[in-house]
This record gives sequence, structure tokens and C-alpha cells, in this order.
Amino acid sequence: MLAALVAATLAAMRVTAPELARLTPLESRFRDALAPVRISLTWLGSQARYAMSFSVSMVRAGERNLALEQEVARLESQVTQLTEFKLESERLSNLLNYKQVMAKRYNLLTASIVDRDPGNWFGTITLNRGAGDGVKENMTVLTPEGLVGRVVSVSAATCEVLLITDPRSGVGSLVQDTRTSGIVEGTTASSRMARMIHIPNNAPIEVGQAVVTSGLGSIFPKSIPVGVIAGINSESSGLFKSADILPYANLNQLEEVLIVTEVYS
Amino acid sequence: MHFSALLFLLGAVLILQTTILEYIALYGVKPDLVMLLVIFNGFLLGPREGAFLGFAGGMLEDLFSGSYIGLNALSNMVAGYFAGACGERFYKENTLVVSGVAFVSTAVGLSVNYLLLLYLNIHVPLFHALLRVVVPTALYTALLVPFLFKRVISFLKTRDRDQLN
Repeated sequence: MLAALVAATLAAMRVTAPELARLTPLESRFRDALAPVRISLTWLGSQARYAMSFSVSMVRAGERNLALEQEVARLESQVTQLTEFKLESERLSNLLNYKQVMAKRYNLLTASIVDRDPGNWFGTITLNRGAGDGVKENMTVLTPEGLVGRVVSVSAATCEVLLITDPRSGVGSLVQDTRTSGIVEGTTASSRMARMIHIPNNAPIEVGQAVVTSGLGSIFPKSIPVGVIAGINSESSGLFKSADILPYANLNQLEEVLIVTEVYS
Repeated sequence: MHFSALLFLLGAVLILQTTILEYIALYGVKPDLVMLLVIFNGFLLGPREGAFLGFAGGMLEDLFSGSYIGLNALSNMVAGYFAGACGERFYKENTLVVSGVAFVSTAVGLSVNYLLLLYLNIHVPLFHALLRVVVPTALYTALLVPFLFKRVISFLKTRDRDQLN
């Protein structure tokens, strides 16, 4: 009985592996129907975060009298909200500037994150843009700082993005200074690091060098900043070495991103 | 312990897991609250119940994520069973003991998760798997035990008393 259950579950895991199948119409509708729930949960999370910071600020104001304390809390709350608006405005302004600068190379679509994989292994995010906005599978996702990942599945109103730190991700890349090529693959989402593999042993690479996309045989456009080399290791085969890559984009604190919907050659 | 109480807790924990945990991540690592609830349940009620809730809770998590259905179900099932086996041997009222059991059970569950990733052809370097996911997640999850264990027990006892009345 237990063996049958485990066997059935192992088979279900294979069948539901996202790389093996595109979204069926039913899955697509299910995901779209779930999108408002996920947006609500994300809102709930941000409110809870706000509530926690509010409580902390109340404790810090413990020595003041009640009226003053309430007034300060109200003002602090306003400042927090205004700061939030200011930061959001700065982020959007940066994205807009980047869009204008990059207008000759790419057609970019701004998107917000509505959901994130809750576990520590996988690095995926869900964006509020889908097929209705012209998003397609394998489109590149980036921020002004650098590469974020690629779209792996699309529903009518949302899309799922595989981050470059996800163990299923691979990006054809090269070291900017020496033009040494390799593949940047993810490790685990929680490590916030990727690693560049298959670098020849005699390749001149150093810590601190920049890594960009190679564009060769890759779904990613050429010359997008990926990250910086943070460490160099020998691979077990002895023929190659690998490098730890710290992504330029802060993948754990993303709020808005850009989707490359078209590349002008 | 009643199924309705467990379902309520599981729902609350799933919402927490997908919302607030992002904000309390330490160096990118989030605790696994669903697994912790499964471990509490197994530790208090035995391996059979632990494995059952582990499978059910993990399956809910998988259905919510929509891919690799069964990945968390199997790893949580093993973690629940392991915690249940420990519960039959250790004193149940000591928070330190529960923290230790939570650490080891989470590590066992996440190791099963790692093996299942290999089965799915997802290769995570062993170093990263152990030192960036398994050990830190197990440690962070175990650190929550002193804050949560007595509350969970008291919640379940209150529910039992209410149902008896």
C-alpha cells in the first residue's frame, strides 16, 4: 500500500515537472484564477510587515506620554508610507530611464512581482504580466542592475520566471575582460549565488571580474550584465575550473522588473 | 488532536509560509513552517500520524505551487515519520529536546528533498545543498520551537477541551 503510494507520487512528480509540458488551458485558467489570491496574500504579507514595524516603533516610544506617542506613531506611519512611495517612485524612475536608454536595443515591458517560491531550493517568481501583454516563454527578464532570469510559463494574466540562481537555470556567459566563455548555472535560491562552470584551467580569470551574457546559442540577448566573480574553484574532473558568481540584480528583494519582449538587431 | 484543528493550523501556516517568511529570511534562508507543524504532530502523536499529516501537508504545498506534485509530500512524510519515531523514545515536555528533534527531522526531510531533486534530474551541488539549504533551514526551523511548541500544544488542548464540552 505504502509502496504503491510512493510510486504513484514519484510518477506524479515527473508528470508535473514544469519543463516537460506547457500550461494546459485548464492549468492556465487555474493560475489566472489564483492570481488575485496570490496578490492578496502578497498584500497581506506587506501589511503584516508594516504592522510588525509599527509595533516595534510603538515599543521604542514607550517613555513618552500616550497622546504624544500616538501622534508620533501616526507621523511615523505617514513617513513610512511616504518613504515607501518615494522608494517606489525612485525604482520606477530608474526603470523608466533604463527603458529610454535601452529603447534602441530592446522593447521592454515593466512588471511587478506578485508571488515568489516559498521554499529554499527553487528560485521562481510570478509576475503580473501574461500572454495578454505579449509575454512569451523564454523571454529575458532583467533590472537596470543586471539579468534576473527567463520566462518559463505564461498564463493569460501572469507569467513565471526562473531566476538565474535556480538550480534548473543555465545562462551562456563570458567573462567581460578576457572573453572566456562558460555557463552560469544556479545553485539554490537561498544561497543567492550562481556559478560559472566549464571554464578551461588555463583561462585567465580573477575575482572581481564582470560576467555578461554571451548571446551565443542562447535565448538571452548578448552583453547583459550577469554578475561578478566572487571566488574560483577547481572542478572535480581536474580539466576545468568554476567560479562563484554574485548576481548584480538583488534577486531576493525584487519588486519591479523588465521583460524583454523584442530585441532589435 | 482533531483533524479540523490540524487543517486550520495547516492553512494558517501555508499562508504564513507564502507571505511573511520572505521578510524574516536570514541570509536568504527561510524556516520551513509546514515541516515544523508536521514534526510537532508526529512527535506528539507517533510516526503513523506524523507520516499522514506530512504527506497531506506536503501535498497541499505542492498543489499550491502547481509543479513537482509529490516532492514536498514525500519529504514531509519522512520528516513526520522520523519525528514520530523520536517522540516514542524521548520526553515530550522538554523544549530543548523538541528543538533537537525538530533540527534532525527537518534535516532528514530536506535530505529526502535533495534526493528527490536528483531523481528529477535537478542537480544541486552537494556543498550548496548541505551548507546553504539543509543545515541552515533545519537550524532556523529548530530555533522557532521555543516560541511555537507550547502555543501549539495549548491551542490543541483548548480545541480538545472545547470539543469534549
